Amino acid sequence: MNGARRIAVTGLGAVTPLGSGREEVWANLLGGRLGFAPVESFDTKAFSVHLGAEVRGFSPAPYVRRLDPRWLGRASQLAIAAARQALADAGIGELGGGNELEPELAGVAMGTTSGEPLEVERFDDRYLAGELDAVGDEFMTLYPCHMIAVHVARELGFAGVNTMIPTACAAGNYALAHAVDVLRAGRAELMLAGGADAFSRITYTGFARLGAIAPERCQPFDRHRKGMIPGEGAAVLVLEPLDAARRRGARIYAEVAGYGLSCDAHHMTAAHPEGEGAVRAMARALADAAVEPHEVSYISAHGTGTPTNDRLEAIAVERVFGAGTRVPISSVKSMLGHTMGAASAIEAAVCALAVATDQIPPTMGLEEPEGDLDYVPNAARRHRVEVAMNNAYAFGGNNASTIFRKCEA
Amino acid sequence: MDAPEVRNRIKKIIGSIAGIDPQRIGDEATLRGELSLDSLSLLEIGVDVDLAFQLNLPDESYKEIDSLPAMVELVMRRQAELAVAAGGAPEAVAADVGAAVERFG
Amino acid sequence: MTGRRRVVVTGSGVVSPLGDTPAALHRALAAGTSGRKPIELFATAGIGCHEAGEVRPFDPQSYVGDRNLRPLDRTSRLLVVAAQLALADSGWGGREARAGAGPQAAPAARPAVPATPAAPATLAVPAVPANPAVPAVPAATATLAASATPAVPAASAVPAADIGLVLGTTFCSVRTIAEFDRRGLRLGPTHASPLDFANSVINAAAGQAAIWHGLRGVNSTLAAGEASGLQAIAQAVELVRTGRADAVLAGGAEELCFESFFGYHRAGRLCGSRRPDGAAAAGPNAGAVGRAGVGSGGGAALAALAAIDERPVPFDARRNGFSLAEGAALLMLEEAAAAAARGAAVRAEVLGWGAAFAAAGGEAALAGALARAVELALADAATAPREIGCLSASASGSLEVDRAEALGVAAALGERAAALPVTAIKAMLGEGLGVSGAWQAVDLIETIRDGELPGIAGLERLAPGLPLGGASVATRRLAPAERRRALITAVGADGHCAAMVLGAPPEAP
Repeated sequence: MNGARRIAVTGLGAVTPLGSGREEVWANLLGGRLGFAPVESFDTKAFSVHLGAEVRGFSPAPYVRRLDPRWLGRASQLAIAAARQALADAGIGELGGGNELEPELAGVAMGTTSGEPLEVERFDDRYLAGELDAVGDEFMTLYPCHMIAVHVARELGFAGVNTMIPTACAAGNYALAHAVDVLRAGRAELMLAGGADAFSRITYTGFARLGAIAPERCQPFDRHRKGMIPGEGAAVLVLEPLDAARRRGARIYAEVAGYGLSCDAHHMTAAHPEGEGAVRAMARALADAAVEPHEVSYISAHGTGTPTNDRLEAIAVERVFGAGTRVPISSVKSMLGHTMGAASAIEAAVCALAVATDQIPPTMGLEEPEGDLDYVPNAARRHRVEVAMNNAYAFGGNNASTIFRKCEA
Repeated sequence: MDAPEVRNRIKKIIGSIAGIDPQRIGDEATLRGELSLDSLSLLEIGVDVDLAFQLNLPDESYKEIDSLPAMVELVMRRQAELAVAAGGAPEAVAADVGAAVERFG
Repeated sequence: MTGRRRVVVTGSGVVSPLGDTPAALHRALAAGTSGRKPIELFATAGIGCHEAGEVRPFDPQSYVGDRNLRPLDRTSRLLVVAAQLALADSGWGGREARAGAGPQAAPAARPAVPATPAAPATLAVPAVPANPAVPAVPAATATLAASATPAVPAASAVPAADIGLVLGTTFCSVRTIAEFDRRGLRLGPTHASPLDFANSVINAAAGQAAIWHGLRGVNSTLAAGEASGLQAIAQAVELVRTGRADAVLAGGAEELCFESFFGYHRAGRLCGSRRPDGAAAAGPNAGAVGRAGVGSGGGAALAALAAIDERPVPFDARRNGFSLAEGAALLMLEEAAAAAARGAAVRAEVLGWGAAFAAAGGEAALAGALARAVELALADAATAPREIGCLSASASGSLEVDRAEALGVAAALGERAAALPVTAIKAMLGEGLGVSGAWQAVDLIETIRDGELPGIAGLERLAPGLPLGGASVATRRLAPAERRRALITAVGADGHCAAMVLGAPPEAP
C-alpha cells in the first residue's frame, strides 16, 4: 500500500508433522520428506481412511514456563512452542529484559479452524456416557478458541492487541493480514502472527464424511489425486516495522509487501466454479503490494490435493498470471498434509524462507501433473525469489493471499 | 416396503433438507435442477436415506443419483438385496426400516 | 486526524431477547425489562440456573422469506436475520437489488418492522428435547419456484458495491460441533452429518450470511471473548479507513445452547450456579478474581450467595455471575462521503477505538488493560475525557470483570468518571458474549438519538470502592451535551479489553 509503513518478517517458529523449529522443518521440506502415517491419536477402525499428519512426540515442557501446561489445550501448547521459537529466532528475549520493547505495543494475532476440539470431544464422551457431572471448569476455561491467542500472550507477557481469527483453512493468512494492519496503523511495534490447530476426530470425521481424505497418498495437482490428508501444527512469524528491524540489526527474512482478501459468497465447502474468489484475492494482494503478476517468482499454493480445489486453483492462477505462465507453484501440503489453521501460517514461513534463501520446496507425489503449470515436481529447486505469493482458501468462502518481497537488511 | 411408501419416506427426508413441504415434491423431481440442492445437501440426503433404510451403501452409490425416481429405485433394489441376504423375513426388515425412518424421516 | 476517511453508521439490525429493532430494544432497556426467561431450547434440570435471554419466538422465515434455511444452524440464522435487517435499515436492500443498478435510495425513516413476529398459527410449539436435533420441517408451505436459490451470478454481473462482513463470536456454534461429534460417535463416521460439518467451523455463520445475502466484500470472523463484537466493529472501521472497503456490516452473533450454558455453569460463572465447595474455579493460569465467592470465607459466604435471586446485577456488591443471552447485531459502517453521496441516513459516527490485553491475570492487570484501551480510543477519537457524555459498560454481574472495568474507566477518565452517566445493559439483556459489544453499540446509538440512558435494573448497592458514581438503577434523560460523544467499553474475563467512541451524526450543512 503506497506510503504505508513497511513490515518485515524477522523470526519464524513452527511445530509440524515434519519437525519442530525453522531449521528442521525447512530442511525436511526441501528434502521432500513426507509427514504421513497411520493415525495414532484415535482409532480409525470405523473409517475407510487411516492416514494423518500428526505431530509426534511433542512435549510442551521446554516452551511453557510461565503457565501450567495442564491447563492448556493442545493447540495452545503448539502455538506457544512456535511463538517461543519465533521470538528466539528473531533474537528477541523476554519483554522488559533489557530490550526496549514495551509489552503494550506487542500483540498477538492467531488463526485457527477448530480452536481446541479435544475439549469438546471430552465433553461429548462424558455426555454420551451419562457422566456430565465429571465436567469441571476446564471446559469453558480451555475450550474457547480465543484462548490460543490468550495463552500465547500470557506466556510471553504481550499486552497489546490480542485477536483470534478463526477463518478456517485460510486463518494463518488472515492473522498475518491483521497483524500487518495493526503495525501499519502504529497500534503495535511487534506482532506475533500465525496459526494453530490440533488433530481431532471431529475434523477427521468431517473431512472423511465429505469424501475428501486420500486413502494412500496426498498428490496435489496430480491427475490422479484423490484428496487431502488432515494434519495439525502451529507456526508463528515475528513481524515488526522494517525500520525498527534494521535499527536493531535483525535478520530480515522478507518484507510483507501486501495482502488481499475476498469472499466467494457461493458455497460453504466448495470454491466458486470459476475460481472467482481466489482471483480477486490474488488481484487485491498484487495491487496492495504494487507488484505485477510477472514479478512474482514463486507461489505457495493452497494445494490440498482434492480434485476440486487443485483444479480451481490452477484455473485461478492462470486467470491472474496468464495461460501458459511459468511461475513455479508448489504445495507443501504434499508433505505436511493439511494443517488447517496452521497451514497458511506455515506456508507464509515457507514464502519468507524462499525469499531469504532463493530455494523453493517441491510438490511431492507428482507422477502425472494436471495441466501445464510448473508445480516444482518432486525435487526442491534453487531459484531467485524476488517476490513470493501465499494463497489460502477456506470453508465459508474465505480467501486470502499474502505477498512477501526480498528485502535488504 | 412398497415403492409408494419408500417414495413418501424419501420425500420427507428430501423435504426436510430442502426446506420444502414433502407433499409439494413431484414424483419425478430432480434434485440439482428443480430443487436447487447443492452438493453438500445432496450428500446429506444420501447419508439420511442410507441411515433411514439401513442400506449401508458406499458413497459412490449415491453420487449419480439426481432424481427422486432414481433414489426410489436404488432403495428398492438394495432392500431386495438385503432381504435375500437376510434369508427372507421381509416383515422383519420392514419393521427395522420403519423404526429408523421414524427417527430420521 | 486530517485526511483520514471518516466512518459513519448508516443503519443497524438486531435480534435479541428484548426485540428485533433498535428502537424496540432500546425502549425495553429503558423500561428496565429483563430479557431472561425460562429456557426452552434445552433441559436445565440439575443446573443451578434455569433462565437465560433466549430469543423466543424466533421465526427466521418471517424475516427472510421461504428460501431454504435447513443448511443453516441457529447461530447462522440469527446472523442472517440481523444482516437482513441491517441491509434494509441502511437502505442497501436485498442481493437482487444490489446486483442490479446499484443501492436503493436510503429511506428517510426506518422501515416499520413488527417488534416481535407472532408465531404463525400453523407452527406447533416444538417438544422440548434435551438436545434438539434436526429442526422440524417448517409448516409454512412454499412453491418450488419460490424456494429455489438464485443461480450463481456470472462473473460479469458483479454487484454495484461489494459489502463486507466482519463478525465477532466466541463459539459460533459449539452446539453444532458437539452434535456433529456425538452423531458420528453414535451412528459411525459414515453417517455423520455433512451439513453439520460445514457449520462446525467458527467462521461458518459469516460464510453462511455472505452466501445468503451475496456479500462479496471482505469477510472475516474474530474471537475475543466478551470483546468480540466491539473488536469486530473496530476492525471494520479500519477496513473503511484504509480503503479496503466502503461498506461493511460489523457486529456479533452468539446462540444459546446447552454446551456453553452447562460449561459456564460448571465453571461457576453463571449467576445462581456458585460452586458449593468454594474452590478456585479455573486453575492456576486464570488468576481470576473471586470466582469462588466474594471475599474470603468459603462456605458460609457461598451459602449466602446461593440465596440471592438468580439475577445478574452488574456493579452491585451482591453480584454473583452473569446470565447468558443469545442474538445477533450488525452495524452498517460506511465511508462518510460515499454514504452522503448515496443519500444514506447517518445514525452516528465512529470517532475512534482502542484495544489492549491483560497479560497477567487478576483485577489490577485487567483494569490497567482497559484503562489503556480507553486512552487509546480517546486519542484515536481526538476526544478529551470531559467530552465523553456517557458510558455503555460491559459489566454483566461477573465477579471477574465488573470492578476491573470500573477501575479501568476511572483511571482513564480521571475526574470525569465520578459523575459520568453509566449504563450496563447486560443487567437486562444478559451476557451475549460475541454479540454483546454490538448490542451495546446499537443501543448507545439510540441513546444518542433520543437521550435516554437505560438504568441498570436491579442495582441496589455499588460494590465497595467502585468509582462510577453515575451507575444507577434509574433510566435518565441526558442533556444534549451528554449525547454528543459516547463511550463503549467491552471487557472479557480472559483479558480482552476494547473501547470505542461514538459521536452524534455530523450536523447537516
